[in-house]
Amino acid sequence: MTFDHQTLVAFSKSWGLFYLIALAAVVLVYALWPSNRKRFDRAKNSIFNKDDRPGD
Amino acid sequence: MVSGLTVSERRLALVIAGLIAVCGLAMAIVGRNDLIGAHGFIVLAFSLGVIALVATRYLDPEPPEDRLSQYYDDPTKAGIVLAMIWAVIGMFFGVWVAALLAWPDLTFDAAWASFGRLRPVHTSGVIFGFGGNALIATSLHVLQRTSRARLPDQFSPWFVLIGYNLFCVLAASGYFMGVTQSKEYAEPEWYADLWLVIVWVVYFLIYIRTLQRRKEPHIYVANWYYMAFILVVAILHIVNNLAVPVSLGHAKSYSLFSGVQDAMTQWWYGHNAVAFFLTAGFLGMMYYYLPKRAGRPIFSYRLSIISFWGITFMYMWAGSHHLHYTALPQWVQTLGMTFSIVLLVPSWASAGNALATLNGAWHKVRDDATLRFMMVAAVFYGLSTFEGSFMAIRAVNSLSHYTDWTIGHVHAGALGWVAMITFGSLYALVPWMWKQERIYSPALVEVHFWLALIGTIIYVFAMWNSGIIQGLMWRTYNDSGTLAYSFIDSLVAMRPYYIARTVGGLFFFAGAVVASYNIWMTIRMSRRAEAAGRDTVDVPASAALVPGE
Amino acid sequence: MPNFHRKLERSAIGFVLAIVGVSAIGGFVEIAPLFTIHETVEQAPDMRVYTPLEVAGRNIYIREGCYACHSQMIRTLRDEVERYGPFSLAVESQYDHPMLWGSKRTGPDLARVGGKYSDAWQVAHLINPRDVVPQSVMPRYAWLKRNGLKTDDLGLHLAAQRRVGVPYTDDMIANAGADAYGQANPDSPYASGVTARYGEATNVRAFDGSAGRLTEMDALVAYLQVLGRLTDAAQKTAAAQE
Repeated sequence: MTFDHQTLVAFSKSWGLFYLIALAAVVLVYALWPSNRKRFDRAKNSIFNKDDRPGD
Repeated sequence: MVSGLTVSERRLALVIAGLIAVCGLAMAIVGRNDLIGAHGFIVLAFSLGVIALVATRYLDPEPPEDRLSQYYDDPTKAGIVLAMIWAVIGMFFGVWVAALLAWPDLTFDAAWASFGRLRPVHTSGVIFGFGGNALIATSLHVLQRTSRARLPDQFSPWFVLIGYNLFCVLAASGYFMGVTQSKEYAEPEWYADLWLVIVWVVYFLIYIRTLQRRKEPHIYVANWYYMAFILVVAILHIVNNLAVPVSLGHAKSYSLFSGVQDAMTQWWYGHNAVAFFLTAGFLGMMYYYLPKRAGRPIFSYRLSIISFWGITFMYMWAGSHHLHYTALPQWVQTLGMTFSIVLLVPSWASAGNALATLNGAWHKVRDDATLRFMMVAAVFYGLSTFEGSFMAIRAVNSLSHYTDWTIGHVHAGALGWVAMITFGSLYALVPWMWKQERIYSPALVEVHFWLALIGTIIYVFAMWNSGIIQGLMWRTYNDSGTLAYSFIDSLVAMRPYYIARTVGGLFFFAGAVVASYNIWMTIRMSRRAEAAGRDTVDVPASAALVPGE
Repeated sequence: MPNFHRKLERSAIGFVLAIVGVSAIGGFVEIAPLFTIHETVEQAPDMRVYTPLEVAGRNIYIREGCYACHSQMIRTLRDEVERYGPFSLAVESQYDHPMLWGSKRTGPDLARVGGKYSDAWQVAHLINPRDVVPQSVMPRYAWLKRNGLKTDDLGLHLAAQRRVGVPYTDDMIANAGADAYGQANPDSPYASGVTARYGEATNVRAFDGSAGRLTEMDALVAYLQVLGRLTDAAQKTAAAQE
């Protein structure tokens, strides 16, 4: 574990951007993937189901 | 409520409360020469109170078996009442500290009443007392409904709720006595912090156990936000509070970090307390109660997912914008500024999503003050996140930092967003929990709405004005190239705004009192109906909506 | 990829790990490098630690919440430097556990208030700020002069600070109580030990105006009078830039 300050700073400065882009890509693919549409529609309407009792 | 517990759960409650009483006694003995001893007595009295409460009902018969086919809502009900009690306490002290800046001798020469000690009572009272209890109460409700599963047991939610309030009591009483770590929004000392970690782990376990027993294939997005709230607050709390106590008999501890590391850690914590306590948790509330009350599904579920991951990822980078132009290395400041600006994207995605959900239901917003609370909350959420990104720009921050502008910004978020979404959600939830068709007085909800809105606007405008004037006066030079105003000149210029701010706060506080009365009367309505043996309704809220309500 | 996420989401544990992972990156990236910062920033080998009396005063400053209205961080802006003095350096708060940079200036910055006013002014101001500055909105702290200072556990405080990295010696810890008394009683036999352990430049005075009994006022004024004076690194940096 011998990181000097320069290495850590260089890592921090450059990789943040890559993380941001990679994560954005993953999330967008997931959110916009056509076959997920049905599940999301079901999920957003699920809170209106009869909800006075736990499910079986 | 105790008689709803099984006999073995009552026994467990007595054992745990007994153990905590012993801890309190030990604190009182070991710390008899220190303020931690006083806290030992408070812990002891608190746990003896819990023991007495359980013991009086200990011999009641076992609860009926069919309870397992129903949701467990008793802790949610208690949480709502506790949230309203803390709201009144926290906002009362808010008005008091505001008044202290216009009339400084309102301390009556008492140590406990000075600004520095009362301010954390206000901030912790509203954030952790009011906000925290509201989050626990609503999260347990939303979790069960969206998972279509009952909580895994009846003891642990009570442990979380009561344990959390013990933490709040230790925090507030500590500030009066002068027990504080000085870290803003993380003031409680080491023993209270350790206790909160235990409570929080149990809270997390309730969440994860219920989710694993869920009957829905997909985890509804509101739970994502509640989960992020629980998890990230745990990380923040543990890291920022790392400290070495003077001894086991001392309340005082010394932070593990110093100087610039401590500043970065503290504002990493401070900013993300805003992000994950005051934003993520309350977005969870919004994503459930707003569509539910409006009777319309969320406008775009995809957008809610995108903004969730955006907020979760980006907020953690933004804390360093609290330290522009300080001794913090500049590259960290720049990183914080950049991410703060990009943050506007997921923030506005959430605010826009909420407002688009209401599109087509504007007649409901017009007629229903409860829904209007939620709409105004979404608007203020959009406004204050924009303001936040703007203030994170270095050049703007050089003017706004250290001034009342920051206080105005915080309250645009805290009053306009956090409190409004909470009041809206509680008004939707209360009739539901106490099985009434509607709240005791819809007219009083309307009164509360206008008190809250007027109070917020007065407050925020007063602080914007004072902050910008302050910032400009500090940096104004006269023709000969010297500073034009002394510090005290700027202070004198603030006085009218400090009075206006107190008035705004008073409006908002009055609204909270009205809300407490209304909720209390709804509870009484429910008790009377029960006593008369009348039928109750299971699900009112959105369905019961009529024009004029 | 979508299948992967679906699995992640179906098992709540995977979801938990995803949230922790995604959120932790930002904090780690910004905070971790700060623990190696001493390799690059200015050094102050001559910087002294707080005396026991100053530590007690600092703890009173924290207890009363002074940080809620007073910052201790002069930013690198022209007007701040002209109003308050040379801008603050990271090294100046290296022994501050926790730091007291503050976030709000309802009152002025105090990073360099040490030596700016006399002890008598500080005492009068703390007893009733409006006696000295009529427009002030600061609370009165008259009880500080009435309250005796607790010194029997100052050694424990110093020892705890040593555990988090402040270089207190065994000698300093063993004599903490006596040094606290000596620093506010220049004519007592304990006074010489203070300058021997903390340096000739240490303020040794009856801070609250009366020798003998130690009060909380002694401690707080001793702390205020040393703010910005533990090292002259900032002055040197400012001089080098001109």
